[in-house]
Amino acid sequence: MAEERRGAWFGFGFCGFGQALGSGRGRQVHSPEPLRAPGAGLDVCRVSASWSYTALVTRGGGRVELSGFAVGAAGGCRDAWASEELLVVLRAGPGPGAGTELQAWTPGSALRGEPLWAQTVPEAEREDGPGGDETQAGPLPLLPCARAYVSPRPPFYRPLAPTLRARRLELGAEHALLLDAAGQVFSWGGGRHGQLGHGTLEAEPEPRLLQALQGLTMAEVAAGGWHSLCVSEAGDIYIWGWNESGQLALPTRSLAEDGKTTAEASGLNEDGSEVKTVAGGEDGAPAPFIAVQPFPALLDLPLGSDAVKASCGSRHTAVVTRTGELYTWGWGKYGQLGHKDTTSLDRPCRVKYFVDKQLQVRTVSCGPWNTYVYAVEKEKS
Amino acid sequence: MAGPGALWEALWALLPRTKEELKLELGEKVEGSVVMLLQEAAELLYGDRRQECLQTCEALLDYSWEKLNTGPWQHVDKGWRQVYSFGCLLKAVCLCAPPGDAASVAAALKACDMGLLMGAAILGDILLKVTAVLQKHLLSGKRPAPSPSQEPLGIKKARNDHVPIPDMTSERTVPRLHCPSLQYFRKHFLDPGRPVILEGVANHWPCMKKWSLEYIQAIAGCRTVPVEVGSRYTDEEWSQTLMTVDEFISKYIGNEPKDIGYLAQHQLFDQIPELKQDISIPDYCCLGAGEEEEITINAWFGPQGTVSPLHQDPQQNFLAQVMGRKYIRLYSPQESEALYPHDTHLLHNTSQVDVENPDVEKFPRFAEAPFLSCILSPGEILFIPVKYWHYVRALDLSFSVSFWWS
Repeated sequence: MAEERRGAWFGFGFCGFGQALGSGRGRQVHSPEPLRAPGAGLDVCRVSASWSYTALVTRGGGRVELSGFAVGAAGGCRDAWASEELLVVLRAGPGPGAGTELQAWTPGSALRGEPLWAQTVPEAEREDGPGGDETQAGPLPLLPCARAYVSPRPPFYRPLAPTLRARRLELGAEHALLLDAAGQVFSWGGGRHGQLGHGTLEAEPEPRLLQALQGLTMAEVAAGGWHSLCVSEAGDIYIWGWNESGQLALPTRSLAEDGKTTAEASGLNEDGSEVKTVAGGEDGAPAPFIAVQPFPALLDLPLGSDAVKASCGSRHTAVVTRTGELYTWGWGKYGQLGHKDTTSLDRPCRVKYFVDKQLQVRTVSCGPWNTYVYAVEKEKS
Repeated sequence: MAGPGALWEALWALLPRTKEELKLELGEKVEGSVVMLLQEAAELLYGDRRQECLQTCEALLDYSWEKLNTGPWQHVDKGWRQVYSFGCLLKAVCLCAPPGDAASVAAALKACDMGLLMGAAILGDILLKVTAVLQKHLLSGKRPAPSPSQEPLGIKKARNDHVPIPDMTSERTVPRLHCPSLQYFRKHFLDPGRPVILEGVANHWPCMKKWSLEYIQAIAGCRTVPVEVGSRYTDEEWSQTLMTVDEFISKYIGNEPKDIGYLAQHQLFDQIPELKQDISIPDYCCLGAGEEEEITINAWFGPQGTVSPLHQDPQQNFLAQVMGRKYIRLYSPQESEALYPHDTHLLHNTSQVDVENPDVEKFPRFAEAPFLSCILSPGEILFIPVKYWHYVRALDLSFSVSFWWS
């Protein structure tokens, strides 16, 4: 059953184009702020943020509201996906059986006049399973039929092999991740930063199964600029790709030079206070720096928390736990980690704001340099 | 030392008078949002709102940096590199606003260097002009360079007893020629693809007399350059980083460096045109089909012990030695199979074999592969034919200049 408690969206990070992000004042927001933008008061079911603008999709009326470099609004939209090259919108056809229309706009002239291109796409095939919407193919850039996806660069419409029963698809700067109905993960595209997870730096022209995850059932995938993440049904996180800002929660040289690396790892006591231990090899030497992790690595959250949702920005990572906490790490220069500062981190840190406000985080959606969070009030016991 | 006001004036003399004259022709790949932000940055600069301009420049630099890191470097659209250069330019100018303390000016110079290293030419090579102004300003405050008789940083003379000079008695050496004619060189070495050492060609270049650690520090000490850290680029711990030439010398050339650092394969002479006057392009390059502007000139500057693993390049190479000696081994492209190149795309031009310590079990055919070798000394030029495999180890503190031509 859907959540009955009223929830709200919050945002933090880069808003240099005035996109909806809390107060929207200044260029950056370093701590979560409630979204205050046209449409934010309505039931926002999806946030898709590009670098210079954000698209909010509301349930019911199916409105898309844009803020930032791209502005405007339109009704009758089921889904929207924001990128710098294209704003992609899924609009329901005029009546049942009329199909769905996929429209793409250049952000600068979004939702005004004629779209850059438009295409009718087949409806989703209904699959048996508990709960209506969850079994349909995931949001854009995956299309409802799950037979194809949208790319911000031509060719815009990209078919997927029929054998791939895609449930979710995410795009990085030069790679793609796919989660199928059986919980397997595929990756393809550029691999120079290890973001494909096959153990090499070679590119893959076609979707290739991640062998290293065989036998595990994944529930979520997330793609950052040059890193990848997936969450298993059991709540474990696997992460791989580029670690130049600590986005893999592995020790990184750049932070060590600033004296902030996790080479001296800290853990958390039960009450959340930090305990310093020294990570590393058996001889007690500090752990070596990792620039690139070409195979999936298992990542433990503090206190052994289970992950349920994840999203990645260009160079940062955000994860929601089963108990409603939000952890962020990686590049923090624009406040996108939500820890009230602009420090980058190479270890997961809990966003205290939600704990302090007695909010349970339900979902997270990252733009390249910012983070949007949906949270509900904690049940009063 | 010239006052900060003078620096500010000198910089503004280089910029267009009004922001409208700042031509932003970036091509169609650069999105409208970025163009807008760049226009905003220019407005802020010309409007004297420097703190805000710096903030906007940071966003432009960070965003274009991400584009520079997307896909292979050769395919990065020039527009993105130009955006990066514009960001560096505006940032550098803001940092030099009065009072313009030394740290800010050094930071401005670093920003310019980043633009030169990773950006693309804008506004008639304005970054080169700005760096010249900044360098002049920084140096006018420095104490004069130590006289050549001094040994800076307590660098000891080459300790030949500790350097493994290879025993070359059983090795076939590269032939040597004194100033061959163009036709002779073409007929006997260029066309058949045979290596040769040319003597008497580079030995009178100004660099042979002028270059020393002190001179390099005086001309380039405050400039930011890329440095490779680690024994060789095939190692796991190998990395690339940026630092000033002064930092490089003090960390990797001074006494007891902790790691091997190598200022390798860097187009230093594009970054610091003043140094280009100390070298010449060998006349023999005119035998190639390419234009002179297409010749890639790289600097190779490092301590004793730097190693370039056995590899091949897709162009002809003249390797001119300026400081110190290098042991070089050459294998013909016909021997490629016996050299066991890596099978990855990234390293397909590099051999898996450690030339001076080969794993004979893993690479059995290597020991039988014929080769030529030499010790290249100051004033000499080694011709390495296209695709000829070469391995290089510095026997002393070394500075080489390579010319890649076709």
